[in-house]
Order: sequence, then C-alpha cells, then structure tokens
Amino acid sequence: MDNTVNNEERFMGLTHGQVFVYTLMTVISILFLFITNAYLFRMNFEDWRSVPVPSLLWVNTGSLVLASVGMAWAKSGAKKTNLQTIKVGLAVGGLFAVIFVWGQIWAWQELTTLGFFLTINPANTFFYLITALHALHVLGGVVAWFYVTLKTFKQDASILKPESIGLLGAYWHYMLLVWVMLFGLLLTT
Amino acid sequence: MEQNAMYEGQPLHHPKGWWGRYVFSQDHKVIALQYICVALAIGLTGMFLSLLMRMQLGFPGLFESISAGNYYQDVTMHGMIMVIYLLTALFLGGFGNYLIPLMLGSRDMAFPFVNMLSFWVYFLSVIILVCSFFVESGPTGAGWTLYPPQSILEGTPGADGAGILLMLGSLAVFIIAFTMGGLNYITTVLQSRAKGMSMMRMPLIIWCLFLATFLGLLAFPALLVGAIMLIFDRVLETSFFMPEIFKGGEVLDYGGGSPVLFQHLFWFFGHPEVYIIALPAFGIISELISCHARKNIFGYNMMVWALIAIAGIAFIVWAHHMYVAGMNPYLGFFFATTTLIIAVPTAIKVYNWVITLWNANIKMTVPMLYCLAFLITFLIGGLTGLFLGNVAVDVPLSDTYFVVGHFHMVMAVSPVLALYGGLVHWYPSVTGRMLDDRLGKIHFWITFVGTYLIYFPMHYIGFLGVPRRYYSNEQYDFIPQSVNDLNQFITVCALIVGAAQFIFLYNLIVSAYRGEEAGSNPWGACTLEWQALESPPGHGNWGDQLPVVYRWPYDYGLPGATADFVPQNVPDEQIT
Amino acid sequence: MAFVIVATIIVIGTVLWNAVTPWWFTPLASNWGSLDQTIIISLWVTGVAFVLVSGFIIYCVIKFPYREGHKAEYEPENTKLEFWLTVITTVGVVVLLAPGLIAWNDYVALPDEGIEVEGVGQQWVWSYRFPGEDGIYGNTSGRLFSSKNTFGLDPNDPNSLDDILIRSAEVHLPINENVIMQLRSKDVLHDFYIPQFRAKMDLVPGQHTNLWFEPTLLGTYEVACAEYCGTGHYAMRGLITVDTKEDFQTWLAQQPTFAQTLNEGVEGSGKQIAQTLGCVACHSDNGVNGIGPTWKDSFGSVRELASGEIVTIDEAYIKESVVNPAAKIASGYAPIMPAYATLSDEELDAITDYIKTLSN
Repeated sequence: MDNTVNNEERFMGLTHGQVFVYTLMTVISILFLFITNAYLFRMNFEDWRSVPVPSLLWVNTGSLVLASVGMAWAKSGAKKTNLQTIKVGLAVGGLFAVIFVWGQIWAWQELTTLGFFLTINPANTFFYLITALHALHVLGGVVAWFYVTLKTFKQDASILKPESIGLLGAYWHYMLLVWVMLFGLLLTT
Repeated sequence: MEQNAMYEGQPLHHPKGWWGRYVFSQDHKVIALQYICVALAIGLTGMFLSLLMRMQLGFPGLFESISAGNYYQDVTMHGMIMVIYLLTALFLGGFGNYLIPLMLGSRDMAFPFVNMLSFWVYFLSVIILVCSFFVESGPTGAGWTLYPPQSILEGTPGADGAGILLMLGSLAVFIIAFTMGGLNYITTVLQSRAKGMSMMRMPLIIWCLFLATFLGLLAFPALLVGAIMLIFDRVLETSFFMPEIFKGGEVLDYGGGSPVLFQHLFWFFGHPEVYIIALPAFGIISELISCHARKNIFGYNMMVWALIAIAGIAFIVWAHHMYVAGMNPYLGFFFATTTLIIAVPTAIKVYNWVITLWNANIKMTVPMLYCLAFLITFLIGGLTGLFLGNVAVDVPLSDTYFVVGHFHMVMAVSPVLALYGGLVHWYPSVTGRMLDDRLGKIHFWITFVGTYLIYFPMHYIGFLGVPRRYYSNEQYDFIPQSVNDLNQFITVCALIVGAAQFIFLYNLIVSAYRGEEAGSNPWGACTLEWQALESPPGHGNWGDQLPVVYRWPYDYGLPGATADFVPQNVPDEQIT
Repeated sequence: MAFVIVATIIVIGTVLWNAVTPWWFTPLASNWGSLDQTIIISLWVTGVAFVLVSGFIIYCVIKFPYREGHKAEYEPENTKLEFWLTVITTVGVVVLLAPGLIAWNDYVALPDEGIEVEGVGQQWVWSYRFPGEDGIYGNTSGRLFSSKNTFGLDPNDPNSLDDILIRSAEVHLPINENVIMQLRSKDVLHDFYIPQFRAKMDLVPGQHTNLWFEPTLLGTYEVACAEYCGTGHYAMRGLITVDTKEDFQTWLAQQPTFAQTLNEGVEGSGKQIAQTLGCVACHSDNGVNGIGPTWKDSFGSVRELASGEIVTIDEAYIKESVVNPAAKIASGYAPIMPAYATLSDEELDAITDYIKTLSN
C-alpha cells in the first residue's frame, strides 16, 4: 500500500486489518493459555478422571481442516481476482466451520449419553468448557464470514483486494491451530 | 471537501440523521463523550454508595436500614463500579477515544464501526450491573475481589440469587467491550500516525494509553476465565474453586477445587488493572505539567522506557496481593522483589515530572494545581505501597485500613486529581469554551485537602490493626473510642468532598453555554489536538489536509523562537 | 501562593503527625518485633523521600513562577542525573527489601519445637484443637462433619481420640514458648489475626496453612478475622489468653478430649451446640441484637415477622426456625440464616432448652 497517499506512518508495513486481527489472536491466545493453565493445575488433584475422547472429534478436526482449505482457496481466488473461485472457497470455508460446530455439539451429546455429565467430575467440566469456548470463537469467525460473503456475493469491488479474505482465512487457520493444541491436550491427559 | 477525504482507501463515515450523528455515531469524539457521560453517571452512583458506607462507619446505627448485608453490598458495588466502570472506562474509553486520533493527526480510529459498538457494549455492561440493584437478592456483597467460596455461598449477600451472576455477566460483557476498544487503540497508534510522527515523537499520554491498552488486552482474559469458572461453580455446581465445605450443619456438594486458584487468576488481571488506571493518569500529568509550566518534559526517552518497564513488570508482581493467602510462602520472596523493583521506574517518572518544574515558567492554572496535588498524593500512595510490597511488613498490615488508605491514595485520589486536571485542560478543545476558573479552584481545594484528610489517617489506624471490611468495630477492645471519633471526622469530610463534586459537575454543564470562548489553543500547547482548524474539531478533524509532524511534542521554551512554544506541525523554516 | 502554604502545611503536618498520632502499633506481645523494626525503617526511608521530593516541588513553585516574556530552560535530557537518581532509588529499595526479606525468612520457617495448636475457622466462630498426649493431630475428613462432630475427626483413628477440643472462641497459650499453629477452615476463607502478635495467616478450606509466634507478654488478646468471609465477618472474634506455663497446663487439663466428647449426651448441651455450629456469631446471649435477634428473654416473647404477622416464640417456632429459617424471618433482619436441616430431635430439644434458660 502506498503510505504517502494517506499520509500515515505504518508499523512494520502491516495494514490496519492485519494489526487488528493479529492483536485479536494474541488476546484469544492468552484466554486459552489461562484455561489450559487451570486445566493442568486441576489435573493434579486426586479426583480427576480423564474423559475418553470421542472419535467423532477426529472427524470434526477434518471438517476444520477442510474449512481452512476452503479459505485458502478463496484467498488464491482473490489474488487472481477470480470471483468464482472466491465464492466457492468462501462457501466451503463457512460451511465446514458450521459443520465443525455442529459436530462438536453432537460429540457432547454422545458423551452425556455415555454418562459423562458436566458436573460429575472436573475433567468432564473442563472438556465441555474448553470445547465450548473454542466453538464460540469459531462462531464469532462465522459472523465475520457472513459480512465478507455478503459483500462478495453483491460483487462489491472493494472485496476484490485479497486483504479481507486473507485475514478471514488467517483467523480460520488460527482457529484450527488452537483446536489442534486443545485436542492434543485432551488426548494426552 | 470532507466527502473526498480518504481513509485506508475507504471514505470517512458520514452520519445520516440524528440517530447516526448523536446516538450511533462513529466519530471518535462523540463516542468519547458518550463514554465520559456514562462513566461519570455510574461513578456518581459509586460515590453515593461510599457515602452510605461512611454513614455506617461514622454514625453507626443512625440509619437502621444499613444492615451488615447492605453495608457489604455497598462496599462491593462501590469498589467494582469505581475501578472498572468509572476509571477504566473514563481513562481509556473517554480520554483514549478523544485524544488518540487527534494527537496522532488522524481523522478517526482505525475501525470506527467497531469503536461505536464498543461503547454500546460498555453501556450494556453498565445496564446489567445496575439490574443487580433491582433483583430480589440485591447486588452481590462479596467484596470487589469476589473471592470464592464465600462469593457464591449463602451468608454473603447476593450469592444465592441473581446478584453475583449479574455482576459476573456484566464483567464478561465489559471485557468484550474493552477488547473491541482496545484493538482499535492498538491499531490506530501503530498504523494511523501522521507523516513525521514516529513512535518516539508521540505525546507521552499516547504511550501511556497504548501501553495501558496492551496491559488490558493481556490481563482481562484472566478475569474472564475466572469469571466463567465461577459462574460454572455457582450455576452448575462444578468445583473449580470450591473445596469440601461444611456449612449449615451439612457437607455441601462441592469438593476438590482450589480457592487460591481464583485468587491467582483474579490478581493476574487485578494488578495490571491498577496500572491500566495509573498509566493514563501519568500521561495526563506529563501533558499538563509541561504545557502549564511552559517547559519541555524532562527525559522523554527515559519516560518511555520507564513506562515500558512498568508495563512489563506489572505482569510479574500479582501475588503481592496473596502473601498470606495460603500460597507457597516462598513465592513471597520472588514477588516482594519484583514489586519493589517496579518502584524504580515509577520513581524515575516522578523525578522527571518534578525536574520538569525546575527552571520552568510555572502558570498556576487549575490544571497545574491538579498536577501538583497529584504529585504529592501519588508520592504518599506510592511510598505506602513499598510497605505493603515488602512481604514481611505486609503481615501485620494486610487487610487493615493501611491497605484501604494506600489503594485509595494511589488509585482514587491521585488518578482522580489527574482526571479532573485533564477534564479542565481539554474542555476547551471539546466545547470551544473555558471552564469557570473560580469554581474550578474552589472544587480543587475542597477535593485535594478533603481527600487527604480522609485517607491519610487511615494508614495509622492500619498500624493499630483495625481490619478492613468491618461493618462495626464495637466488639473489639483493642480498638479505642478515638477510632470511632476519627471515623466520624472522616465521614464528615467525605460528605463535604462528595457535595463539592457537584460544583465541578455544575461547572462542566453551565460553562458549555456560558463559558468564556477559548479560541483554538487557549493554553498554548504543542500537541496536535490543539492545531485543528477549530475547537471543537469538526468531523474528520483536519479538513482537507492531514497534518505533517516535524518535531517532538514538547518544544516549550525552544531557544531561538519568539513564542514560548512551537507546535508539532510547524517546520523549522516557519518558526518565528 | 495558596498552594505553597497549603502544601507546606501538608508536608510538615504529615511528618509531625508521626510523632503525635494516637493510633500506633498495639503493644508488642510476641517475638515479631522485627516486623515493627522493618516498618520503622520504611517510615524513615519513605519519609525522607517524601520530604525531599515534596520540598523540591514547593521550592520550584516559589522560585519559578510565570513571568511574561520569560522562557523556561530548554533541557530535554540529562542522562547523568537520571542515572544517579536511578542508583539512589535502587539503593533505597534495597535498604527496604533486605530487612523485610530476612524477617520473612524467619516468618515462613516453622520452628522445630513448640506447642502445637490448630485453629479452626467457620462462619463466624473460631475453635481450636490440641494434638493431645501423642502429639499427633487425628485425621479429619469433610465426610465426618456433623453437628455432633464439628471437628470432623475420625473416631477410628487412634491419634484422634486424645485430641483436646476447645469448642469455644477462647484459647489459652503458654508464655515464652513457640506456638506452632496449623490453620484449617470448614467453609470459606478466613484469616487468623492477632494485632498484638503482629501475626496473621489465611485459613483456606481444602488445605492447611501454618503460622507461628512466641507470646512474650501475659495478657488477653483478641483474634480478629482478617479475610472477608460473609456478613458476619466483623463479628468473628476470638480470644487468646497468655498464661504462665503452670496455669496453661491447668487450663488444658480441664478441656475435653475427643473421646470424652463422644460420650457426652445431647441433653443439656444446647449451649455447646450453639457454640460449635456458629449460632453465637449472630445470636447473642446478652440482650444485644446483632446479625440475628438476641436469645436473651426471647422465649415466650412476642415478635413481629417481616411479613407483618405477629407470633409468640414457642418451642415450635424455635425448632422451625433452625431447620427452615426462611419460613418466618423476623422483621428488620436480613434473610441470611443458613438452614440447619440435619439436626436431630434431641439436638433441637437441647437448643430450645438452652434458649429457655436465657429467658425468665
């Protein structure tokens, strides 16, 4: 971007949107860091009984990977200004994010039918709390996705810059990364 | 003209109609005023609650309706309102929103829509908080620190009803508002500075607001996690923080949790929070003292490094609130050391402000009076912190009135004095008029002397051992009658100081219509917010041309210039 | 010049106040004089800093008032000055921190030898336990708590039978011997604080904490709870009497062991039950209303309820109010009494009998 047009100094050559989203990612990371910290602390107490991880979570992980792939596709479409690719990529990205959340809810229902209720054991509570917090943040991303997708389907010229789609994609990849770490935590403890 | 002003390739948002212009405005100046109005309103409520507390302490039994339960509700809501909903919102939401774009030479915040949302989410958090006064259980009386297990158990007001839940919910909503606002400030400071304004040419208040935001963004998540887990413990009867409890003759359904874990989470947030309040106050003082002493701030570079040091160390001192809380006592060595280390950069800032006065040309304006009063009261508050931070000394003093005196001096008295100074200083920018000087001085003297008389003696009854959060001292022989007399005296002072705040409020409102017209730069300041074409600055702030910056913001008394100040946007060739 | 005058008065007043203040440390009654000394050192160091900096401010205000046409000195930096100021401040900080950390080192290291006593906190009364002749505290468990066994001791644990139970807020301790306290809470956070001993430590439910001191002065000292624990926090007062060693042993020998309390009948134990379950924190026996109405002269009297209804206090009213306080809340009182739903009929009778003895 040409700095002089807008008469502004830039930090490390980043755009406004990049600073916003990267800072947001830092804040969200701190949140999950604290939850993980509390989890590891509580794990050491006698009454902890690990929750068996439903295999459905692997499928859900796959959904989230596909969602990221879709967003990456949309970004490459935006770079080549191929509206069709953008639309397909966005649709895949949004759809699989929603499928992910739906799958998580399904997994909770599976666990409760097996008797792993929320309040019986701290490990159970943490499982639901961690996965719910993550799913909420994915849904927050979906809200932003609505805004971007609506503008794309109205063929708003400003969206043909790769920036907004790129940032949305970055958030998707970030959510996948957070999920991989949380999933790893749940699997190994 | 303004319609063509581009901003990040997108046109500046132009409001449509009355709702768009005044209610859901995306102009940072309007949003700042909205924050200030709501914060002052809830702050007056907090002040009223403190007067109720003082009535009980000074004149026990006079008002039968102030029962022990009500007293603790007043204590809790007073504390939470003042710290979070008044001070944090006013400094960051109010001053931050108003000053950041103007002082950086930008048209508005980086994301005006999100900025607008952040105010309305803050407003929502205040509504939720106020609702807790109207539910059956009344508001929570758990102390602003909300420690479990008592905060969610019967025996504490509001714990077995909606009171505690509305408080925790309100905090969660506030944190969302803060995050939205905070992301805006970070982006704007990093990205929207005018040409020529490097980071080391930013006014110190911007550094302070920037670092305070950084502190908040990293600290509030800890509170959010704690609040969510506490809500779970209360609503779903989980045991994050709840150990085995025997109460009312039976063992409750909890077990295995750790109350100390909550305290770690709370204070990991809580300590940076006090710097979130202190840093903007520091910033205001830096701006005011240099402008009204007509002298450059001394040691700008060290001031910035000191701020960065304070912001960094602020994250590793939190457990000085927990020395006798039952955590591993050997941690006390670490936290006492870091706490006393943080005194060093803080002291450097005080020295630099004070040295700014040396060989200066001091105008005893109302803002300058507030600066000087800040310095004296902050000295008391900061120095008494050294007592409490020194772990062994904290043993006899913790949870006594020494702590109450300390934190009021350092969080309530000095930052509020800075706040008033800032409001008087920037009032002409916002309204184009000056506040009445005489009323300003009357309000200043009553507030400064009055708050000193209220909080200074508290340190001594703390030495005596009078505990805090006591509804009444009657039962204790070691507390002499003279303490009750002191309480009466303090209450009378508090009532006078409380009444005096209405003088300021009156001044704020009436001067907007009848105040002396100010012109665009009545104080002769160098910073950019005074170099806009008009006071108050119009929408878009700068008209056709964004300013360009050629110097740092403290060229007061620059040798070789006729005037005693040179604004930031004046190039060398144009100095007269 | 108003500022100069007022500020000078404030600074001088602040310093002089230390000499004339009526509120100062209570007379020291323990070995923790090092804490007092560290406070005194801190007062001197901070006092000097306060006077120097405030004095400098006042001096500048006098010496450099605004003069039209005059300009301030232009001095952006003076690295050398800042360096030395930093050094002096660091030295000041070290002077404060060193004695403090040394004192803390003593405070956290429990002595090897001394009298062991456990302080137990609950809303809103204190009680105590000595480990008895075997010197070992018996095991406790939350599951064993009951109105008969308010310490939660395990009767099957041989170490617990000789534990000496102090089922009131008053305890005696011997002079000039280390007292090593173990602290335990049954419900919420509390803090055991004796101003004259300069010692305090939180009680955390779910874990033990420790505190130690050596009483050095005979006398009676109050314990004040110093961690907010609910509406009755301010009423949670305890008493420590420091005796000679002989008097202490005499007193201790008169206190019941856990084994002896197991054999006590319920009848006639109303006063004891009221103490151990915490009723006395809110209901006094001396006619003074507190968080709850006083029991003195209550039986047979007429009372107005919050609902406006007028009732006469009889056995049925008392028993109902213990197990279901919310049913009839007295007018003018907050509805915060917990329900003691698990008391047996004998226990309810005992309490009622006790309340009757407080009325004529």
